[in-house]
Amino acid sequence: MDHLVASLADGLLLGFVYGLAAMGLTIIFGVMDVVNLAHGPLIALGMFGILLLAGASGAGLHPYVALIVVAFIGLAFGFIIYFIAVHRILEAPHLSSLLSTFSINMMIIGVGTAVFTTSPQNVEFSLGSVQIGSVTLLGTRLVAALIALSVTGLLYLFLYRTPPGKAIRAVANNRAAAELMGIPATQTLALSFGIGSMLAMLSGGLIATFFSFNILSGGIYELKSFVIVVLGGLGNPTGALLGGLILGAIEGIVPTFMPVSWVPVIEFLLFVIIMVVRPSGLLGER
Amino acid sequence: MTTVMEVNGIASGYGEVQILWNVSLKLEKGKLTSLVGSNGVGKTTLLKTIMGLVKPWQGNVVFHGKDITGLAPHTKASQGLVLVPEGRQLFTDMSVYENLEMGAFSKRSKANFHQNLEKVYDMFPRLKERASQKTGTLSGGEQQMVAVARGLMSEPDVLMIDELSLGLAPFLVLDLFEILRRLRKEGLTMLLVEQNVQMALAVSDYAYVVADGRVEIEGPSNEVAANAKVREAYLGI
Ligand SMILES: Nc1ncnc2c1ncn2[C@@H]1O[C@H](COP(=O)(O)OP(=O)(O)OP(=O)(O)O)[C@@H](O)[C@H]1O
Ligand SMILES: [Mg+2]
Repeated sequence: MDHLVASLADGLLLGFVYGLAAMGLTIIFGVMDVVNLAHGPLIALGMFGILLLAGASGAGLHPYVALIVVAFIGLAFGFIIYFIAVHRILEAPHLSSLLSTFSINMMIIGVGTAVFTTSPQNVEFSLGSVQIGSVTLLGTRLVAALIALSVTGLLYLFLYRTPPGKAIRAVANNRAAAELMGIPATQTLALSFGIGSMLAMLSGGLIATFFSFNILSGGIYELKSFVIVVLGGLGNPTGALLGGLILGAIEGIVPTFMPVSWVPVIEFLLFVIIMVVRPSGLLGER
Repeated sequence: MTTVMEVNGIASGYGEVQILWNVSLKLEKGKLTSLVGSNGVGKTTLLKTIMGLVKPWQGNVVFHGKDITGLAPHTKASQGLVLVPEGRQLFTDMSVYENLEMGAFSKRSKANFHQNLEKVYDMFPRLKERASQKTGTLSGGEQQMVAVARGLMSEPDVLMIDELSLGLAPFLVLDLFEILRRLRKEGLTMLLVEQNVQMALAVSDYAYVVADGRVEIEGPSNEVAANAKVREAYLGI
């Protein structure tokens, strides 16, 4: 029983970070109807960002300071990817944006493999552990969950309380009307893509503080993000957080009575069930 | 009299299909100008072309003496050329208040936000009651009020309204036309596109009648209303 509670807690902590990654995917989809297939590599770049800035042979920053730098790099990458690969094909059929973001995916992985190889990396970092009753929580995971939760809170404040945040929601809701009201739609779309990339890189950075990784690791989390986004409802950040927690819980609990290899099977089974039973997601409308 | 906006020889269309031929019009300061015509003659296309949502093939738009043809729609809006689009085009997932805030997005209108908010709430008390309601859940009439109020929040120098009365109950149409009269008295320059030709001619100073993508008749509204062709084709008299 204790073991189950501990695994569940561990999984839920991870779930916050998964939720953060999924929010990056869902915000881009919600605003511009683009499924960003470069999401996974961006997560991996977040991991390598922490490695280069805070790893054993890195720039010597504290990992959480490095995380702030990674966030801004994520924002900048998002702008660049938007203007190179997304802006011109916004009005084109979905296949175009899938192909163009997939090309970005291939480029990042190609260059990443050449530069970093695919051997596993890790950031030597520990915060000890916290004992709550009979449950032991890893410090790095606890802090990662808290950071993910804070970033989610900040994202909401941004979207609901600031002019550029409200502009993002307006553009998501009706792009032409936003233009007519004096909102620069292109800049707003670029900002949304920047924020989506930033969330992806942040989640990668957090994962790097407790798991080992290589340049291909983003792929797994990208798949998880898809499952989460479908669970929570496309374009819905709260749904992404909820979906993240559900996925985290599954990952925590399943291995206590089944081999770990069943986890993805169960996750994708859930994916299929949701698609069939409630295609708009748990929190989706309609 | 000063001309606030001038549209000169506009031609435009969609893809290969030309909709507008050599359309010119002038908006005089403080005047309410109406643009009438049957379904599908290109009224909405003209407004979209003026704003830059549809690219003109020929001709230009001069606003406050400057050629603004090539500017992005949001730049035009932030300079005070504002369109209340056909079909309202509200931010349906956002509250009434947020829609009004988005109307005041540009720098020029942000400064007087509270003043303008009070003004539109005074015009549409209903919207004050519904301020926190999601706009998508409002009635059609209330949504039209939000559309006009959102446009007014931009502090326009020229307000263009596409189909003010479409699909609304007669008493609401009267209310909205009353608002137009009030805005005109306050000196706002407006271009009103209407299918309700009779009401449009009654409320406006000057009118253009569009047929098949061309200006067919123009003149002071009372003269246009007296025109035999107009009476037969649009007023059914
Ligand atoms: N996006 C578009 N693509 C192609 N054709 C269009 C498009 N929008 C409008 N049209 C065509 O352009 C013509 C003029 O349409 P427009 O909407 O400007 O007319 P309108 O005068 O505003 O009509 P209504 O009174 O019904 O609003 C119509 O024949 C219409 O089918
Ligand atoms: Mg029209």
